Amino acid sequence: MAAYEVNGTTVEHDEEGYITNLSEWSKELAEIIAKAEEVDMNEEHWEVVNFLRDYYEEYQIAPAVRVLIKAVKKTMGPEKGSNKYMYELFPYGPAKQACKIAGLPKPTGCI
Amino acid sequence: MLSTLYAVLFYFATILLVVGTGLKIRKYARTPAPLKIPTTPAPTTRSGVWLRMFREVVFFESLFKANKWIWLFGYLFHFGLLLVLLRHFRYFTQPVWFWVEIIQPFGVYASFAMVIGLAGLWARRFLVERIRYISAPSDHLMLVLLLAIGLSGMGMKFVAKTDIVAVKIFFQGLMRFQINDLPTDPLLLIHLGLVASLMIIFPISKLLHAPGLFFSPSRNQVDNPREQRHLAPWAAKLEKGGR
Amino acid sequence: MAPLDDAKPTTVTDVRGPDGHPLDIPRLACGAMADLQSFPAHVKHNERLGYPGELIDDWKEVAIAKIGELADKNRAFQVYLDACVKCGACTDKCHYFLGTGDPKNMPVARQDLLRSVYRRYYTFAGKHFPWLVGARDLTREVLDDWYNYYHQCSQCRRCSVFCPYGIDTAEISMAAREILDTVGKGQKYCNEIIGKVLDTGNNLGLQEKALRATLESLEEDIEEDTGVSVRIPLDEKGADILLIAPSADFFAEPHIEGLIGYAKVFHQAGVSWTVSSYASEAANFGLFIGSYENMREVSLRIRKAAQDLGVKRIVFGECGHAWRVGYSFLNTLAGPFDFLDQNFPIPQHILEFTHGMLERGELNIDKSRNDHIRLTFHDSCNVARGSRMGDMPGGQFEIPRAVLRAVCNNYFDMDRDTIMESTVCCGGGGGLLTDELLDLRTKGASPRMKAMQQVTEDHGVTHLAAICAICKTQFAKVMPKFGYDMDSILSVHQLVSNAIILDGQETNNTSAAED
Ligand code: SF4
Ligand code: SF4
Ligand code: SF4
Repeated sequence: MAAYEVNGTTVEHDEEGYITNLSEWSKELAEIIAKAEEVDMNEEHWEVVNFLRDYYEEYQIAPAVRVLIKAVKKTMGPEKGSNKYMYELFPYGPAKQACKIAGLPKPTGCI
Repeated sequence: MLSTLYAVLFYFATILLVVGTGLKIRKYARTPAPLKIPTTPAPTTRSGVWLRMFREVVFFESLFKANKWIWLFGYLFHFGLLLVLLRHFRYFTQPVWFWVEIIQPFGVYASFAMVIGLAGLWARRFLVERIRYISAPSDHLMLVLLLAIGLSGMGMKFVAKTDIVAVKIFFQGLMRFQINDLPTDPLLLIHLGLVASLMIIFPISKLLHAPGLFFSPSRNQVDNPREQRHLAPWAAKLEKGGR
Repeated sequence: MAPLDDAKPTTVTDVRGPDGHPLDIPRLACGAMADLQSFPAHVKHNERLGYPGELIDDWKEVAIAKIGELADKNRAFQVYLDACVKCGACTDKCHYFLGTGDPKNMPVARQDLLRSVYRRYYTFAGKHFPWLVGARDLTREVLDDWYNYYHQCSQCRRCSVFCPYGIDTAEISMAAREILDTVGKGQKYCNEIIGKVLDTGNNLGLQEKALRATLESLEEDIEEDTGVSVRIPLDEKGADILLIAPSADFFAEPHIEGLIGYAKVFHQAGVSWTVSSYASEAANFGLFIGSYENMREVSLRIRKAAQDLGVKRIVFGECGHAWRVGYSFLNTLAGPFDFLDQNFPIPQHILEFTHGMLERGELNIDKSRNDHIRLTFHDSCNVARGSRMGDMPGGQFEIPRAVLRAVCNNYFDMDRDTIMESTVCCGGGGGLLTDELLDLRTKGASPRMKAMQQVTEDHGVTHLAAICAICKTQFAKVMPKFGYDMDSILSVHQLVSNAIILDGQETNNTSAAED
């Protein structure tokens, strides 16, 4: 199984780049995953990633896109609370790409 | 000698055809359909299903929707074959049934339709690359066989007439388990030999599409799963295992 | 003339240009998609479903025996293997063939991958004259071909409409996947998800707490939007109706807008209803892998939820394959439903419910709220060709259109050869909605997208409505590749939601047209 390289340690990920042991996540790792995804992490990306991690901690799953957007709207302002803006931040989709960077498992199903 | 050989051949072919096809039909009939899978929109009543089947068998409805060329050639061939086959009843009935007499003149022209249809279908196996791709040698041979049967039959009608009265006596004899003399002109022997092979191949080849159609769940099932619970015997056993 | 071992791959991949009729037939591009392999399931995914974790040593014997077993258990499989005459009528009917040109994506060629092996081991001709009838041994290459090409079939049944014997390649694909699972060669996407349903009740792995939080958040949103308090109850014992929605309706866009639509309709109907956290999934991926047992297991959860909650009716949300399983199989798999109210269809589709209300004039609709939308409708394959709505054959075409026309002023159908029973798949159904297959999904979507482009040119159509979670996700993903916004795909009940005026709803007309 392939792995990310973080400060000399390796963090295993699955065939799609999601880390397999969620506790191995770190901010440095997030930057590395983001780089592999060609996402340039700025403050807004981090805002989303942090929200995802908090939400996951409480609910053991990523939030619905709509719930995420609602939260973003509250913290970053209404003009940024849209699906479109989420896709600007994470071109491969907030649910999947942002989860990958945030170290959450990939959401599965008809989504 | 030759007459005996052909007699044996035809008994053999008939038995294989009847028993082989019968066994296959029994297998189809006994194999359960675990789920309701009619291709919808589908009839919601039994009589509706009969009508759907009727349209498939008589008009090749689905094929018509799919491809007009295949439909045209397929229809020419099958319809021609049907008339030709019916016409052949005159060699097995005495006195000849009146409706066989009626279709007699059409039967002759039907052979042209049949051969044209077959030629068209065969040409498509060469000319259309998609169909060329899916054709196995047997698919070509099957068409060749049918074509040869048709052409040899037409040859006897239009070119080198055979002693048809003697042929009739031969086959009527077979039906009473007597072996009479069969004329020995080559066209006839070829024709009969090929027909016998076709009968033998029938139950072990794609010619099973004929009975298969009637057992195709996507066509013969009634669309009523909400109203009527459908359960295969092996699935019912699963339920006994507890839920 | 050796159809099954074609020459080296030729280069043509992008066989479809941007123009042309949606159903234009491509030239053959042998081997174009031969290397496209969807991720194999991990050991734990396979074992969770009772399959061997990885390819077993005696896979060949087991696979051959399984073919025989399925031929004994399933008439469709047996008849379809025997009856094909290679007429070729189906060869241009598969959207994946139209999109890729790969001849093994022609329905009959896809069947032949398995039929050739069946013939070799189970028919007289194939045993003694394999070369004559295109029969071949089961080898590792053949097994890999099965894996790759049976995961390039969305089990949409389009081919079965046109075959003179109704041969349904979907049945063969399902059987093939079951055989693959039996020898330990499962697909990750399907098997991981079925495992999640068995563990958590839905494809997402959404636990009760998260589901409750999501539904509460939606209730807030609706109230903020309309000023009316509309409930989305969870696990409420004694409710009349159990709503079984695809879990995507709790998660993704535009699915969730559809859920809001159902809630508003139920609210106006004044019925008591509930979602179940135990059976929080309409989709049944057991169908995709052709496993009666898995399909039954998932279906029994719905039965149990209905019994535990003491409901009188079951209503399904917008979900294509789910509706096929719900409508056509649920009674078989989890029936009899003698404990439910027999005056209503069991199960009922949400569109049947909404349509009934519209017909009786029980919904207050302001169509102009959808005036910014010029709409067309995608018939989801499994609804169109594997189920029905209403009392009449074809109700599955009429009812969604009737609802759309009732809530939207600008509705236009696409080319008749690409809708209703002839509908072309979205390209993502049947267990293919996974990222590594995106190339195939995009190519497979091209016939549908071209048909849409036609109505865009002719009628200025801007949006596409669908009634299947997979279709919605798939379109959201591929529409941008065909010149549309990702939010050009809408849920049917999203349009209902837009247009409905709830009792007591504040309607200030200026902001009403926003969606
Ligand atoms: S249309 Fe039916 S019979 Fe003809 S080639 Fe296709 S599957 Fe075979
Ligand atoms: S079921 Fe659909 S995807 Fe599968 S072969 Fe037939 S047309 Fe193609
Ligand atoms: S979307 Fe399609 S697959 Fe997913 S649940 Fe609904 S129907 Fe099934």
